[in-house]
Amino acid sequence: MSNNSTFSSPAFAKRLARRHAAERRFKLIGLGAIVLSLAFLALLLFIMMHSGLGGLNWNFLSGSDSTDPHVAGIWSAAKGSILTMLVTLLLSFPMGVLAAIYLEEFAPRSRWIELVEVSINNLAAVPSIIFGLLGLAVFINTLNLPRSSPLVGGLTLALMTMPVIVISGRNAIKAVPPSIRDAALAVGASKVQAVFHHVLPLALPGILTGTIIGMARALGETAPLLMIGMRAFIVTPPGGITDPSSVLPMQIFLWSDEIDKAFVQNTSAAIIVLLVFLLVMNGLAIYLRNKFEVRW
Amino acid sequence: MTETKLTARNVDVYYGAKKAIDNVSIDIDNGIVTAFIGPSGCGKSTFLRSLNRMNDTIAGARVTGEILLDGEDIYASSMDPVALRARVGMVFQKPNPFPKSIYENVAYGPRIHGLANSRAEMDAVIESSLTKAGLWDEVKDRLSDAGTALSGGQQQRLCIARAIAVSPEVILMDEPCSALDPIATAKIEELIDELKENYAIVIVTHSMQQAARVSQRTAFFHLGNLVEYGETSEIFTNPREEKTKDYITGRYG
Amino acid sequence: MILSGVLLAVIGLGLVGWFAGRGRARLLYTGRGSMHSMPGYHGWHLALWILVPALLAWTAWSMIMPGLVDGAVMADPAAAQLPAGDMHRAAILADARNIAANPDAVAFDPLAEQLARPMRAAQIRFGMIGGLLVMIIALAGGGYGFTRVRAGFPARTHVERAILALLLIASLMAILTTFGIVASLLFEAGLFFKDVSPIAFLTGTHWAPGNARGVDIDGNFGAVPLFWGTIYIGAIIAMIVAIPLGLMSAIYLTQYASGTIRKWVKPILEILAGIPTVVYGYFAALTVAPLIRDTAASLGVANPSTESALAAGLVMGVMISPFVSSMADDALAAVPRAMSDGSLALGATRSETIKKVLLPAALPGIVAGVMLAISRAIGETMIVVMAAGASARLSANPLASMTTVTYQIVQMLTGDQEFNSPKTLSAFALGLVLFIVTLILNIIALRVVKRFREAYE
Repeated sequence: MSNNSTFSSPAFAKRLARRHAAERRFKLIGLGAIVLSLAFLALLLFIMMHSGLGGLNWNFLSGSDSTDPHVAGIWSAAKGSILTMLVTLLLSFPMGVLAAIYLEEFAPRSRWIELVEVSINNLAAVPSIIFGLLGLAVFINTLNLPRSSPLVGGLTLALMTMPVIVISGRNAIKAVPPSIRDAALAVGASKVQAVFHHVLPLALPGILTGTIIGMARALGETAPLLMIGMRAFIVTPPGGITDPSSVLPMQIFLWSDEIDKAFVQNTSAAIIVLLVFLLVMNGLAIYLRNKFEVRW
Repeated sequence: MTETKLTARNVDVYYGAKKAIDNVSIDIDNGIVTAFIGPSGCGKSTFLRSLNRMNDTIAGARVTGEILLDGEDIYASSMDPVALRARVGMVFQKPNPFPKSIYENVAYGPRIHGLANSRAEMDAVIESSLTKAGLWDEVKDRLSDAGTALSGGQQQRLCIARAIAVSPEVILMDEPCSALDPIATAKIEELIDELKENYAIVIVTHSMQQAARVSQRTAFFHLGNLVEYGETSEIFTNPREEKTKDYITGRYG
Repeated sequence: MILSGVLLAVIGLGLVGWFAGRGRARLLYTGRGSMHSMPGYHGWHLALWILVPALLAWTAWSMIMPGLVDGAVMADPAAAQLPAGDMHRAAILADARNIAANPDAVAFDPLAEQLARPMRAAQIRFGMIGGLLVMIIALAGGGYGFTRVRAGFPARTHVERAILALLLIASLMAILTTFGIVASLLFEAGLFFKDVSPIAFLTGTHWAPGNARGVDIDGNFGAVPLFWGTIYIGAIIAMIVAIPLGLMSAIYLTQYASGTIRKWVKPILEILAGIPTVVYGYFAALTVAPLIRDTAASLGVANPSTESALAAGLVMGVMISPFVSSMADDALAAVPRAMSDGSLALGATRSETIKKVLLPAALPGIVAGVMLAISRAIGETMIVVMAAGASARLSANPLASMTTVTYQIVQMLTGDQEFNSPKTLSAFALGLVLFIVTLILNIIALRVVKRFREAYE
């Protein structure tokens, strides 16, 4: 039953033309969405560069906060960020990796373990400000730890970052094929030895990538630190993890509130510094992932 | 009535740098079933897909040479693949009904091509397609049920009905029975025998017995080359080529 | 301080124990098969016996010591002069603690100077008692552990069991955290609901905590305008921006874009996702909000506000769109290729295939992605703090300034007020609502994704 006539009729041709026009429009909308997103990003980066690049000098990078915008610098906030990140890393990395190893390799199938898994998956999606409330209620109010210190900030951010490390750690460990474990067990290694001597080294690049990405996220967080009081005017860089301090994103936030227009340059310059840091961290994570990713 | 429907001349198909089909020329006639047989990876499915330009959807795929449908080169820039695929339909190895109702599955093709102007016309097309596919009696009371709720054999017949609904001239079938049980397979082979009256059918199959049962002409492919092409009875009883003979007698699979 | 010194001593002792255990085990090794465990494991076993009990004791003592010291100070006759007020008393004690730690510090209150002396004495006394206890425990552990270094002793098994215990504890931290969040939120919110009725909180429309005093407190904590602001900015405006942007870019990248475009564009879009929200907030306040205000003014709107729901919602939408895009990407990729092949083979164009086959098939996954995106958006703080505004308003005007739940959580905790005032506690009540809502959204979304994936396996 050849329907040649239908398919070569002018009505069909017209319809075909309309359909192809719709196709082109659709494709254009898709392209437009991408272009719009890229344009937004470009605009944001351009405006930050435009208002901030002029303020990036050594004085700015080494000076501390001040009421005078021309003197104010980011060093005290930067040092606070470094100390806070250190605390976060030292707490969340071991906990996260060990928990990932346990859940992936050793945990029996039980209701408790399911509860742990559900907890972790949900924690990863809880808004960051809730962690701040937790930090306020437990670390500051109950345990009386020093307010506005890298210790409390690091503790709070560690609780927030740990689920992220656990999830990416589990994926990295899951990706190591069973044959590796079997080979280790077959030469007489115990399960613990097989995991720590063979599986973990192979999963390490993936774990590190996930950790770096988690830390990058923690570096840019402001809301939970607002809750624990890190919004004070800090003039001297913190000496240790129990001294009152600020962090880079917080400094950006505080400066953005200033009435004096001259602070716009400071804020934008600080944003540039923060973005550079994040770019380096994410770039490192991507580099690690590409270099050490093994396709099993 | 065996006029030539599809003609391929010196067709090469490349996937990137790899040549999958090498210099194949073949005439496919109307009103009969043509079978493509050959061992796994010999390119029979690849060649089939180039007959309705489905290879276009694979990145890096390239087709050179000529493939003529009723004399027109389907790879010419004047040929719209969208219109071509309405004339050359395809049924796949694993039944792939859309996650829609039985009615909507069959109505999909006519709807996008604008082949039915009213609900009554569409109902008629649906009934006629399902009847030709041998499925009407089994589903006529549950047209709004999900297409995926049918059994494997019924799903494949639904896919055949879906292809028929667009009134194609050629139906390409890529191992349509390999995912089905013997009873469903027998039903579909019966169906193919009926369908050949009105369509040119090309079926790729890895089962020689099926080719012998169902087709009138058979083409034997090996490593991207068309080794032998002729009447099915000839190919299976008196093949000319050594390689064909080896394959038929089971020397290799 | 004394306790820090004791800690170092314990760790040092542990190190010594490690070498001792390993050394002794090495001496016992007479050939293959003569010992159950390698010497290293014996070293670890001994070290653990020294460290673990001692560290537990150390931690316990560190926690109870402040209480003991305070008790001793209160027993001192000078303490009778302390004022009755809680905060005042705590301030003087803190001052005294400060002076006890650095003798050069200046006292705000002469009473603090007086109390510093007995405090110092108590700290030294209890520090020494605790330190002695810890060292005894450490040595006892070491002694016991040393007797275990024998050929047949399964040191490796014990050490591995300890490792497993450590792993288990690490995993339980997750439950502990969740429990901590729920407990602290419930507890503090519970205190809040003693003063303000939950009904008034959840259904009232007047939010003015600054005026909250006395009996009429219920009427000033109506959170409905906050819920509305959160939904309007995060679930409505932001989604109007994020869904088309995210969905269409996912469609283009997966269906139309060539390999090179995909390779370059995807990472760049991921950068969008990685920019800190404070930067987005600043950009919103610096550029977007004034732009909207000026556009509104030029269109004839009278007195447009600089802070607007539109500014915050717009920027939030762009921030969330990579998230929507990635979830839509996953959902579209999960649809089997056979489905789109089937559609194309019937002569459909790509856009028809996407609109009529792929999107309906991927819809559960996409909807789940949108739900997760909404969950992210309503929990977002910095963008709204910097661009949305503080006025609790029930308005549908996108140009109006509007406040959200997260903004108010920040507001309520700003400024010096007692921790247990209704104003501060309201932040926890708001936090509780936020936590519950995002939790529900996340659970539903993850369940939808799971069922959707199973449908295609």
